[in-house]
Order: sequence, then C-alpha cells, then structure tokens
Amino acid sequence: MSDLNKLSITEAGKKLAAGEITAVDLARACLAEIEKRNKDLNAYLEVFTDVLEQAKKADERRAAGESHPLLGIPLAVKDNILIEGRRAGAASKILENYVATYDATVITKLKSAGAVFLGRTNMDEFALGGSTENSAFGVTKNPHDESRVAGGTSGGSAAAVAAHMCLGALGSDTGGSVRNPASFCGVVGLKPTYGAVSRSGLIAAVSSFDQIGPITKTIEDAELLFNTIRGRDTLDSTSIDENLYPKQNVKKVIGFPAEMNIDRESFDIGGVGQKFKETLFSLKEKGYQLKSIDLPSLKPALAAYYIINFAEVSTNLSRFDGVRYGLSLKGENLFDDYAKSRGEGFGPESRRRIMLGTYVLSAGYYDAYYGKATAARAQLRKEFEEAFKSVDVILTPTMPTPAWLIGEKSDPLSAYLADTFTVPANLTGNPAISVPAGTVDGLPVGIQLTAAHGDESALFTAGKELQ
Amino acid sequence: MISREEVLQLAELARLKVADAEVAGLQKDISNILEYVGQISQVSVEKEKATPFNYNVMREDVPRAVGDTMGGKEEALRAAFPKKENNYNIVRKIIQKDE
Repeated sequence: MSDLNKLSITEAGKKLAAGEITAVDLARACLAEIEKRNKDLNAYLEVFTDVLEQAKKADERRAAGESHPLLGIPLAVKDNILIEGRRAGAASKILENYVATYDATVITKLKSAGAVFLGRTNMDEFALGGSTENSAFGVTKNPHDESRVAGGTSGGSAAAVAAHMCLGALGSDTGGSVRNPASFCGVVGLKPTYGAVSRSGLIAAVSSFDQIGPITKTIEDAELLFNTIRGRDTLDSTSIDENLYPKQNVKKVIGFPAEMNIDRESFDIGGVGQKFKETLFSLKEKGYQLKSIDLPSLKPALAAYYIINFAEVSTNLSRFDGVRYGLSLKGENLFDDYAKSRGEGFGPESRRRIMLGTYVLSAGYYDAYYGKATAARAQLRKEFEEAFKSVDVILTPTMPTPAWLIGEKSDPLSAYLADTFTVPANLTGNPAISVPAGTVDGLPVGIQLTAAHGDESALFTAGKELQ
Repeated sequence: MISREEVLQLAELARLKVADAEVAGLQKDISNILEYVGQISQVSVEKEKATPFNYNVMREDVPRAVGDTMGGKEEALRAAFPKKENNYNIVRKIIQKDE
C-alpha cells in the first residue's frame, strides 16, 4: 500500500488494529518521505537509526495482544523533549553533544502506549522565537513554499506533520510555539491548559508559560495524543489533576474580542481577517450564537508576556554554565570560563533575551517591569474567567499573517509583534488550539480557539465543526 | 537609547561574553524592545493581594537504595561531564587570589 505516511493517526490506528498494515510498513513510509524531503526542509535534526526496530517491537506487542490506538504510530519529537539515551539539544550549540539521562514523562507515556519515535525536530534555540530561524542548525522551510518559514518555535514538528514525514508530533508552546507553526503549515496544534501535561523532561524556557502539546493532521488525532500524555505527575509540581477546574456547561456561544471589530477594514492584514470573519459566520450557520466580549487587558498583554518571558528565560538559562554538561570553553579565569561558554554557546536571540531579562529583573527596574507585568497578567486571567461564564470558546486568528519569507523579519521586535494573538493563552493558562482555515494567497492560515481552564473538550467540539 | 557601558554591564551580570562588533546592534535592539514593553507602565497595580493559586505540591520522600543515590543514572550523568578524571568532574578552582 502506498502513501501510508499520509494517513492520520486515527486512520492508521484502525488499519493497524484490523491487521491491514504493520507498524513497520508505516515507519518505512515515513522514512522514505523523510529521505525525499528532509534535506530541503530541515525539519528533522536527527532521524533515529533504530526506527524499524522500534516498529518491529510495536508489531510484536500487538501480536501479543496489546491494543493502544498509538501502538506502532510513528511520531516526531521536538528537540527540547528528553528521550533517555538519545541526544537532546533545544537546537543550541551549548547542548550540542548532550545525551538525555532520563525520559520526559510524556515520552514514558508514549512508550507505554507503544508509539514509535522517528527523530528529533528542529526549533528556535531554547524555544525563543517564532519562525525556527533562531535554530543553531539552520532554518526549517515551509513545506507549502520553501522560500518561507515553517513558523516556530516548533517549526520542525509542524513541517514534519504537514509534509507527511510523520503521522503526528510533539511540540512545546511558550507563547504560541505549537499554534504558530501549525497555522503556518496548515495543521492542527494544541496548547493544553497550563499544568494539564507534565513538563518533566522538557528543557525549560519560561516555566510559567511552557506546555507540551500535540501537532497533528486532524483534531481527533490531537485529542488522542492529548489524552495519552495528560495527567498529574509527581515529577512536575505544576501539573494538575484532571478535575481541578469545574466542568463547563455547553452554551453554544462563540466569543470574539470586541477589539477585533469584525467590520474593521484595517484588520484585513494579508486576508487573514477575511478568513476569521468567514469562520465566525460559518459557526453561526451551524447554530452557534456569536458574542462580542470585552477583554481590555489584551492591550498590554504582549508587553507583559515579553517582560515575563525575558525574566524567566534569563533565570532558566543560567543553568547552562559548562560545568556539569554541555559546551565548556576555557577562558583566563573562572568568570571567563562561564562568559565564554555562554557567549559562544548561545545564539544571538538567546543572548539578547538573557540580557533583557537581566535588565527587567534588576533592582530599581523590577517593580516597573516585572511587577507591572504580573499585575497585567492577573487582570487578564480574571477577564478570561469572566468571559468563559458566557461563551464556550473565544475565536481569533492564530497569526496576523500567513508564513513570512525567510529573513523577512530580521528586526527582533517586528517578530515579537506577530505573537499578539497567541500569547494571551500562555499568560492566562487557558487551553487554545489552532485549526486550519484554508489558504490566503496560496498559503495556509489557522484560526485559534481558546477555552476555559480544563475545557479542552470545548476546543475539540467547536474545532471539529470547522474541519 | 541604552549606552554601550550599560550593555557591557548587562553582559557581565548575565555571564555572557559579547563581541565588540555586537554591542552597537544590542544597544539598538534592546532599546527598541524596552521602549515597546515600557507601555506596561500604564497598567495599574491593585493594592489587594491576589489569592495564590496553589495547593500542596510536595511529593513523598522515597529513600533510594544504599549505593544508588542517583537512581541508576550515575554513569549517564558522568558521561556528560565536559572534563573528567578518575570518575571526577574536573572544575576550576572557585576561590582565587585577588590580584
């Protein structure tokens, strides 16, 4: 059978269960596609050499009577998620030869389900960026137009899914890093509720924002992966119990921020505004009520997001000092050892953010930046909680434009501004999903749905209406 | 715009070596970004302290077997040492004489 790599996880799972295909067939199909396209796209940083052995083991487990829907499904994993005994480097030179000493909890769960890991995927270094242009190992190209970026920071994972070089993938989302590349590559990307998925074994970027999430071809697949990796974990003290948040009643009401006045002409950047309006009205035709909601704290959200991002990045990346692992360079004295290893090991964007974080956390600036940002964050969270009393999901575009040209956004601030729709869910901890909404000028664009804390099911329900 | 000296001071605080040729670019980028995020000053901070969103997250202490304090990871952790000698991680002397 040809084109097995083009199946969704759910379709492939049914064929595996029916004995029509084997895990080895699936793995071979993906490896053949990787062989064909990865050289140009640069989605995988490494393709594991034991993929067929893993697949064979999955087939043996099935023959012995096991039957998980992910048993034998080939997946790609972002380079910041640890798999014991394999390299993991967050696409950074500072971790170039680092070998993981334990499995991330999500990997433990996927191993127990029987998934097959194809390789590790490219990303912006330490998940800092939005286009995978900040990788120390070259940009990942968009499978729909190789002159354009795949988005980021999980650009390799999204490109691998879109180009059928895997059936699904894991990414991580700090300010849109799963949803942004999903939008640019025309696939589904889910950022779960903060704490829904354990982050043990995820290389930390911004600990109060980071969440691991699935990137898939369909919403059913995202739901399946999410249900497999979710759950409270004693190894991650921020992980939450499934029942922490109260169950939401289904209201059949879709909210949209009043700021995004759907009549406003100026919103039509690159035609994404038009797609947003079409999506909104298609839901109305399906029996949903539309409701404009006030979220005044969206205005300072991006500034608050970046202040907290810088602050936590500078703290989290301080662990990379070349003493216990990673790149270690010799200088003239101890201080020099650190400064040289970090100066040469980190790329320009990581260094910039570490310095900005050092600035905003400095005595004298702390209250003016970090204190204000956390206040804005708390206020936004309250406004979201209030909004979800009357709507099931809030609809926005995922990104203000389709994928940009490689090198187009060389000014860092202009790249930050593209995150305007995705960062609110990280500030508030709400779950959000990007669903493909067709194309603008031949390039895929996504629509973002955000739901109440713990209410991923509302995302899947409304998202399926859009498929 | 933040000064050249401020950039160098930040780099030192952050334990980062910055090439001379990079400083001017960093001055410009950091200033632009700080100007943008500076709009946060318009946010008013409420006096009332928010209720912390926490619950007990401590896990039970589980003693490890004698001689296996690293849970079987000792070799793997050692393998990551940048420079080792006789199973020890070689690091530079921390306390150094003042010049």
